[in-house]
Amino acid sequence: MNASRARMIWSVVTWTIVLAVVFPLIWMIVTSVKPQSELFSIPPTLMPETITFEHYWRLLTDTPFLQYFRNSMILAVTTTVVVVVLGTLGAYSLVRFKYRGRETLATLVLFTYLMPSVVLVVPLYLMMAKLGLANTLASLVIAYTTFALPYALWLLRSFMSSIPVDLESAALVDGADRMGAFVDVILPQALPGIVSTALFTFILCWNEYLFALVLVNSDSVRPLTAGTMNMLITSFNIDWSLLMAASVMMSLPLIVIFTFLQGTLTKGFGAGAVKG
Amino acid sequence: MHSDPPPSLEKRYARIGVVLIAPTVLVFCAVILYPLISAIYLSLFSIYTPTLAGEWVGVDNYTALLASGDFWNAARNTLIWTVGTLMLQLVFGVAMALLLNQSIVFRSLARSLVLFPYFLSTVVAVLVWRWLFNDLYGILNHVLLIAGLIDAPVNWLGQMPNAMISIILVGAWKYFPFVVIVVLARLQSIPEQLYEAATIDGAGPFQRFTDITLPQLRDVLVVVVLLRAIWDFKEFDLIYLMTGGGPVRATQTLSLLVYEEAFRLNRMGMASTYAVAMMLVLLGFTLVYLRQTNRIEEG
Amino acid sequence: MTDWLSTEGRRITRRDALKHLVAAGLATAVGGCGGTDEDGTITLRWWSTQGAPAQRAAYRVQIDLFEAAHPGVKVVFEAMSDEGYATQLAAAFASGDVPHLITHMPSFAVQGYYAHGLIEPFDDVIEAIGADEFYPRANDVYRAADGRYVGTSIGNTAADMLWIRRDLMERAEIEAIPETWDELRAACRAMQGGGIYGAPLPYGLNSANSLTFIGFIHRAGGSVFTPDLEIALDQQATYDALEFYRSMLELCPPGATGYSWGEMVTSFVSGATATGLYAGRVLANVAAQNPQIADSITCALYPRMSRDIPAWTYNDFPCVCIPSAASNKAEAKLFAGSLFDPAGYIPQLHAAPGHVLPVLETVAENPAYRDNEIIDRYPQEIDLMASAAAQGYNLGFETTAHQPNTKAGEIIASNAIAEMVQRVVLNDEDPQVAVGNTVTRLEEIMRS
Repeated sequence: MNASRARMIWSVVTWTIVLAVVFPLIWMIVTSVKPQSELFSIPPTLMPETITFEHYWRLLTDTPFLQYFRNSMILAVTTTVVVVVLGTLGAYSLVRFKYRGRETLATLVLFTYLMPSVVLVVPLYLMMAKLGLANTLASLVIAYTTFALPYALWLLRSFMSSIPVDLESAALVDGADRMGAFVDVILPQALPGIVSTALFTFILCWNEYLFALVLVNSDSVRPLTAGTMNMLITSFNIDWSLLMAASVMMSLPLIVIFTFLQGTLTKGFGAGAVKG
Repeated sequence: MHSDPPPSLEKRYARIGVVLIAPTVLVFCAVILYPLISAIYLSLFSIYTPTLAGEWVGVDNYTALLASGDFWNAARNTLIWTVGTLMLQLVFGVAMALLLNQSIVFRSLARSLVLFPYFLSTVVAVLVWRWLFNDLYGILNHVLLIAGLIDAPVNWLGQMPNAMISIILVGAWKYFPFVVIVVLARLQSIPEQLYEAATIDGAGPFQRFTDITLPQLRDVLVVVVLLRAIWDFKEFDLIYLMTGGGPVRATQTLSLLVYEEAFRLNRMGMASTYAVAMMLVLLGFTLVYLRQTNRIEEG
Repeated sequence: MTDWLSTEGRRITRRDALKHLVAAGLATAVGGCGGTDEDGTITLRWWSTQGAPAQRAAYRVQIDLFEAAHPGVKVVFEAMSDEGYATQLAAAFASGDVPHLITHMPSFAVQGYYAHGLIEPFDDVIEAIGADEFYPRANDVYRAADGRYVGTSIGNTAADMLWIRRDLMERAEIEAIPETWDELRAACRAMQGGGIYGAPLPYGLNSANSLTFIGFIHRAGGSVFTPDLEIALDQQATYDALEFYRSMLELCPPGATGYSWGEMVTSFVSGATATGLYAGRVLANVAAQNPQIADSITCALYPRMSRDIPAWTYNDFPCVCIPSAASNKAEAKLFAGSLFDPAGYIPQLHAAPGHVLPVLETVAENPAYRDNEIIDRYPQEIDLMASAAAQGYNLGFETTAHQPNTKAGEIIASNAIAEMVQRVVLNDEDPQVAVGNTVTRLEEIMRS
């Protein structure tokens, strides 16, 4: 009796808070299906009087939205792959190998977060221009990799260090080489940590604005954030309907991905966080 | 038992280790180290941003910075913003994690939904909140008016102290899921037996929290606080798009000041000076913080 | 024992190769880098801050016409952020990776860049279009200190017209549209009530505030600079304008303390305020968002302090200009000129009817131009705005007697004037002190 009453109380409290937190999403969706004439009614209508999908339709057919979407996808997936590869290898190196400067390297890497991004923008752009990578997705991949790597390294390092060395030793004794042991033993154990890293990187790439604005200037390579902002917001006019529709469509992929990965994710943070 | 490999093998292993970490180091040197050094270098000049041409001024930028009221104002605002939003992120994050660790209906769905603010792009989040805060068409004012809690629409973003409170709240809303993920995962790895033993010993729920949960969470919280403190301190997009630093610089933080100097006033040299100041503050904080937490760990 | 070194070596090489492939693939996924391709096709990049879907469609028309007439040249349109164009251009200029054409920036921004040698003189393009086709003095705002033209306007915008609701006027028994500040205040007070506010003036820390307030200084009979570009801010007109601006705060919605252009137009269009201060976009927005009031709206020149002070209209003179570091400048100039051909120019004007007004007198009188629903429905308003804009000014060019001010862009971007307004009106600080501090800031900017 007590347990199920407790469960009910916790459920009510939790779900009230969750709904409050999620309310902006609900409001986004509600606004995006209102026709423009109802948008600015005073007082605002809680439930739309008429429901229309014209804004979504216009966004998909009349604007380069799908192109921006594709660019963001390519960008986020590529960066995630790069960060996961460099991160797992780097973390493995920091955890299992002994060489000079290993400890300093581990802490120094975290120091990259001390740099304000606003100051990074122009030098980075100049460097990309010199490399011939200006106005390409590659420049964003490189930039975002640097933003995500320190956190990825910390996360994966704390994860891998909790994997018992004996497992690897056993594999080595069995005749596997160092990298073979890595692939067969470490990777599967570290999978939740890898998934967490992947999600964190994906979110970072999908949502970043300032660098996407400056490093890339052509619609054919522009990602979603800069694309929708440029298109729908001028200092003279904000197209709220299209903006809300775009916001909903920008958020859905992440929510979908996360719902699938949720189980692995919490496991990942849990075990990795043991070492702190 | 794992025995140490013979010396030559050890050296070979070491080489692989270096090779594995090399790409990472390369990326950092290029992308972080170079701009960092150029920022320090540029801070000694007066530079026109679009041409990056300028002249040597030595430490004049630094003396101007220390004498500038804007700098100290921004420093104070940054402190208020960082401490305010960080505390809320921690309190709500831990509380939510505790709740989501209980047995509740549709728990998986609740866990996914609560992370929504973190997924949302900052630009989108700010626009949605500005839409919610709107004095004429905003649903927030409308609901409060109907509930009788206010009798005139509140100016959430154009007035102090509302503006600072609003950005602190939106910042907390946006980033507390990060704390939730990390803490929740840690909570799930605390063995149930600890709690059972404590209950048998007669400990109440609050005592169980302080004696068992908190110490177990300490490790992750230390890192979370450090990371979030640094990231909140540097936050640009959210504040810039929400209030632009207004009203009258009341929400202008150091990041916004750097942007103003670099791209609105086209003074890259001065902007670099502010950036170097920011980095020194963060560096100082990080060093002190790490030393404190390590000391407590050992002690 | 496996020779792990060789396996090791192979593994790393494969991994690296993959990474290189990906990077190479991405590097080739370059969009419109411009310049000349191997087959001789020239690609011109066109940057603009106004890339809303309706306008893009109009640009498409102009691009197609040009490409048809000039085989071997392609044009790619790329939208700039209206908020962040300074950052994007700073990066572009600094790296030399510039577009071939920039449009819709305010005239003072172009003047600022020209003073640093970043913009190509525009005289030959103006000649090609036909210097007499323009409204008289339309290009004065683009004349640089060295006598050359730095660009021209792609359109005119009368940005601070008074918009007013005739039905609300009738209800409040106001007979004539206000022409002085006192009349405006009285009218707003009479029309305010029942959830409707008097006016949506911008008090935010943004350019809308600065630019609007500069207009009020002029309507009090003053100016920010003297014709020789000495700072004239500390004058009676500034204090009068501040006093007026402060008195209007209670007649504006509570959020006006943060208002910018977007809120200004939305409040009037949605019917939340009885008057508005904006350009011609009101007409199109009302038709789309709030057709019920479409028959009751009209515009007039914004009231001045007293009738003997001449009217002053803010025109940001959205530009057309060419960066000096661009390649293929000859083709870029041809394209710039083609933007003014009626066949393409008129559809572009129709994409923002009443908002972007023609700079060419011949086009304004062209029946094809008048053949547009909005323009047809509001002929007096359109003509009034067109003539007001053609004789309009901005901080870069405050009166015909003024020298061009190349620091105007930075002054606006610094928000110095907006800050002054906020300090006096919102924080209730001493006007003398606030104006004095602003003068110091302006001196600093002019010097740098």
